[in-house]
Amino acid sequence: MTFFALARKNAWRKPLRTVLLMVSIAVAFLIYGLTASFLNGAQGTAGASDDILGVTSAGGRTQPLPMAMMARIAADPDVAAVGYVMRLRGFVDVEKNVVAISAGDPDRLLAVNGKGLGLTPALVEAIGQARDKVLVGRALAEAQGWRVGERVTVTAFDMARADGGREWRFEIAGIFEGEDATTDTYFMIARYDYVNAARARGKDTVDAFIVRPHAGVAPGELAVRIDTLFANSATPTRTQSEKQFLEAFLRQYADTGLIVNLVVGAAFVTLLMIVVNTMVFAVRERTFEIGVLKTLGFSRRGIMALILGETLFVFAVGGGLGLVLAKLATLLAGPALGLVLSLPVLAKALAILAALGLATGALPAFNAMRTPIIKAFRTR
Amino acid sequence: MTENIAPYIALSGVRRAYRIGGEMISIFSGLDLTIPQGDFVAVMGPSGSGKSTLLNMLAGIDSPDSGTLRIGTSRLDQMGEAARAAWRAHNMGIVFQFYNLLPMLSVAENVELPLLLKPLSRKERRIRVDKVLDLVGLAGRAKQYPALMSGGQQQRIGIARAIVSDPGLLLCDEPTGDLDRKSADEVLEMLRFLNRHLQKTIVMVTHDPQAALYARRTLHLDKGDFVEEKRAA
Repeated sequence: MTFFALARKNAWRKPLRTVLLMVSIAVAFLIYGLTASFLNGAQGTAGASDDILGVTSAGGRTQPLPMAMMARIAADPDVAAVGYVMRLRGFVDVEKNVVAISAGDPDRLLAVNGKGLGLTPALVEAIGQARDKVLVGRALAEAQGWRVGERVTVTAFDMARADGGREWRFEIAGIFEGEDATTDTYFMIARYDYVNAARARGKDTVDAFIVRPHAGVAPGELAVRIDTLFANSATPTRTQSEKQFLEAFLRQYADTGLIVNLVVGAAFVTLLMIVVNTMVFAVRERTFEIGVLKTLGFSRRGIMALILGETLFVFAVGGGLGLVLAKLATLLAGPALGLVLSLPVLAKALAILAALGLATGALPAFNAMRTPIIKAFRTR
Repeated sequence: MTENIAPYIALSGVRRAYRIGGEMISIFSGLDLTIPQGDFVAVMGPSGSGKSTLLNMLAGIDSPDSGTLRIGTSRLDQMGEAARAAWRAHNMGIVFQFYNLLPMLSVAENVELPLLLKPLSRKERRIRVDKVLDLVGLAGRAKQYPALMSGGQQQRIGIARAIVSDPGLLLCDEPTGDLDRKSADEVLEMLRFLNRHLQKTIVMVTHDPQAALYARRTLHLDKGDFVEEKRAA
């Protein structure tokens, strides 16, 4: 037997109580795992780069920028490559089936963020075959069941065609994979020249420029310089990193980080109260035995370690179960949900797990540590 | 109550009082006692005579208000709680009236408990546990749980736990108080064996005159002082 085995056996004295505790901890960590995975991956911010800059209108992302600005941005010696995108949102078949299209110059996108998106020269060549070709992200292709060569029609919410219609027809030229699992691939890449030529309004404008600085250039400094360049123009800009851009984009709808923290915080505070209460009772029931252990020579610190070991064991099993379930959920969930339980999220969860285990064990452990042996013996 | 040979346990001028309901009740007001190494002493006396207080002080779970309390080379009256806990782990074994075994642990695990406080490998601990279980006649029952065993057997587990770390001093608090005569005699025989053959110094508090007969001498406490001493024939 080891010291830890003793703590473990203490924890299993009342199996039903322990199992219920573990289940409540597992549920709390399942909630945490899922919400943190959502925050980490759903917006694609996990895979977003801090180095690539997005230049949008300071007046808001819906304000277009004239294409002519690109030459001035590209003229900066610290800029390695510039691309541009125009966004088109619409639906396929039914209004609930929303898809997003980024229309740009495929060669420029390859130069700016080809690695991040998983673009290859072969894919760029494929989309270059005809103006209505598109590249579809792996997540979107799987969600829609699309294959290369298939024709799709997207009905735009806002962007009308010059002929008055809103139906945009494309042919799938290829599927891009994204750099890794955290990359957002739930969208299509279309050719700007096709969309620009066919749209009714806003010709020769884009929603954003995408800038890749040269290696060794501080992106923050370049962003300030670009914004300064257009500060007194008709279209002042706001330049952010891709990650900042995506996070800001999400905050338009809600501060998801705050919501997640509130939900998780509420779950953990409730959990803390339940487990502390249960552990205080569980340890109080054993006051006499704690007196016996002290009589055998267990020190106050030893008793404290024993009780903390017990709560840590309960948290390790319950929390571990919750995180495993969260991981399974992220693996089984459709790519459209974009749940990513990455190593940093897991490490943070384990740190919270350990902190909660110690916090919940502290009060009963402190009580047990302080109880004099003679007083403990009177409790029988 | 003094001995001419070097005492193993020595209490000198020990005072102890408790505050009960706002009133100070004196238990000992200058108790002296010496016990040589290898002695087997039974302490008898009516309720409230101070038997349990004496045993608690010898076990280092209570401290005298004044006076000196030395066991071996250790001055327990000068030790803090942590030092007394460490002293108990290495120098003393205790046998309780109601065995006080942990129900979720097997026989072997209960016996092994004091060894968790010693720097021993798992194998060394197992060897020691097997040895003492053999000594108390419970070899082969290591994996059973105490709740399924008789009172006499449980007390033998308690004795095994008390001696597994090979302490010099064994304190017994009414070790036969919960046993029938036959089981009690078996337990007392075992204590006598430990005293005579393993040279354990034993202090046993008991109400049972039959139990006291197994000791080398019997001290009678009354109102916080020793009033009589009987030596075994």
